[in-house]
Amino acid sequence: MIERAFRFGRAQHLVGIAGLPESTPAPVGVIVLNAGLVHRVGPFRLNVDMTRRMNALGYATLRFDMSTIGDSGASGESQTRAQQVCADVDDAMSLLQQQAGCSRFVLVGLCSGAEKAHTVARDRASHTRLTGVVFLDGFAYRTLGFKLRYYLPRVFNLRRWTRWLGRKSRELAKGDAPSFGVAPLPQDVVSEDLRDMVGRGLKLCMIYSGGINMYFNHSRQFRECFGSVMASPAVSTRYIEETDHTYVLVDDRRHLIDHIEAWLCRNFPTAHAGASP
Amino acid sequence: MKRPDKELPFFFGTRGELFGIYHPAPRSMGKAVLLCAPLGQDYIRCHRLYRQLASTLAAEGMPVLRFDYYGCGDSAGASSEVDWDRCLQDTATAAHELRARAGIDHVVAFGARLGGSVALAAAQAARLDDVLVWDPVLHGDAYVATLDALQDALRRDTKRFVRPREWVDAAGQWLGFEVNPALRRQIGALHAGWHKRPSLLLDTLGDAAPHDWKGLSVDASSIRVIEPATPWDDLARLEAAIISHPVVQTVSSHLSGACG
Repeated sequence: MIERAFRFGRAQHLVGIAGLPESTPAPVGVIVLNAGLVHRVGPFRLNVDMTRRMNALGYATLRFDMSTIGDSGASGESQTRAQQVCADVDDAMSLLQQQAGCSRFVLVGLCSGAEKAHTVARDRASHTRLTGVVFLDGFAYRTLGFKLRYYLPRVFNLRRWTRWLGRKSRELAKGDAPSFGVAPLPQDVVSEDLRDMVGRGLKLCMIYSGGINMYFNHSRQFRECFGSVMASPAVSTRYIEETDHTYVLVDDRRHLIDHIEAWLCRNFPTAHAGASP
Repeated sequence: MKRPDKELPFFFGTRGELFGIYHPAPRSMGKAVLLCAPLGQDYIRCHRLYRQLASTLAAEGMPVLRFDYYGCGDSAGASSEVDWDRCLQDTATAAHELRARAGIDHVVAFGARLGGSVALAAAQAARLDDVLVWDPVLHGDAYVATLDALQDALRRDTKRFVRPREWVDAAGQWLGFEVNPALRRQIGALHAGWHKRPSLLLDTLGDAAPHDWKGLSVDASSIRVIEPATPWDDLARLEAAIISHPVVQTVSSHLSGACG
């Protein structure tokens, strides 16, 4: 495996590390997006471990910083957030195509990275080169099933009620705090997007963690959120209750990478598939 | 102030195992600055501040090299392979690389937490002309005890995990990173007996963390206490970036003022 550092992109404003396998790379390349504001190495170096494992399997990879994150600057263009995300990923695909000859790509995103991967995957016009997406703690919504699983065990717990009332009264006293978050896409839009992605032939791998148990708490919730498309053979889902949102424990990260590796090898086999060290 | 050229990411060292980003300066003030990163999660939390500091110093006329030790960041090696002596060796390699790229022999190093300790310990081998440190780790045994306690609290944190994790799940790790027994011993044995004295010591530990800097034998005039305290050991902010404009400004002023 060889790693090379690049400054690239339409304004030479992006910084990334391409990982190239020793042998001829698979036609499918893997691109790992930033998780939140953590630079390209990922939370606890998850992205480094993941891309190196993929390289050992024969996949070319790129972990890079999107515009204004980590070591990347701004492109200087006047673009919407979605346009900028798509343009950054386009630049990343072009770099990996140039360096490794990849013609199709899989995106991997955790948390806000999953949201960005979704932004790219729903854009059918500009991303014909995309062939698969790994969503780690991507979009999720509190369903009736979630509420039953969450609230029923708590209904008869007096201590929880006391804590809840205390919290509510503090919130009321504080008033409305300004919110700077980005509003998530509505559930029906995301469901339709996922159906459309599968319809276009994309393979989807959705892995959600116990770290988001305030709005997602069971493997059944994939179907509760997004409907029958979750039963498609093109979609793989997994809920790992015991792990946290950013996989802080070493073995949790190892198991996550094992799972992604197995999904990649199953859906995009290479000559080296199964040769993981 | 002229805008410096874009930073250059590259691999260096005899086998190309070390990753660095070089920040060229538009004009030369006769000294170059090597930024020594802390280890573990502190490295990730400080990444943005290091980049801001590097850009500021480069704009002031000091070329800067940021780099990752073997087993850290984008450099080769697994997290489990980080070794203290190799960190010191990598610092000397990076100082050599900076001299070659900048064409300047006078190199100053800056480091936060264990990065400060690395800079002080590597000063002689790396031929560092000056060292600036920010909350350096002087007492390895106390530092190891703090990290062990934080790791134990982390595995039991039900804000992070649905249920507390078993001790064995979290063993041999500090806050997200595998720690090999040799590194643990090396860090545990750290004590402030370094030959080099820093010309500037930034103290942002606050009252919550009892500390003294006597081991460094620095003059009181070299110590700058900056408020607010940096939450290095606050588990609730484990994944929050460390940002401090006063730290960047103080380092920049110190180095610009000291430029001949």
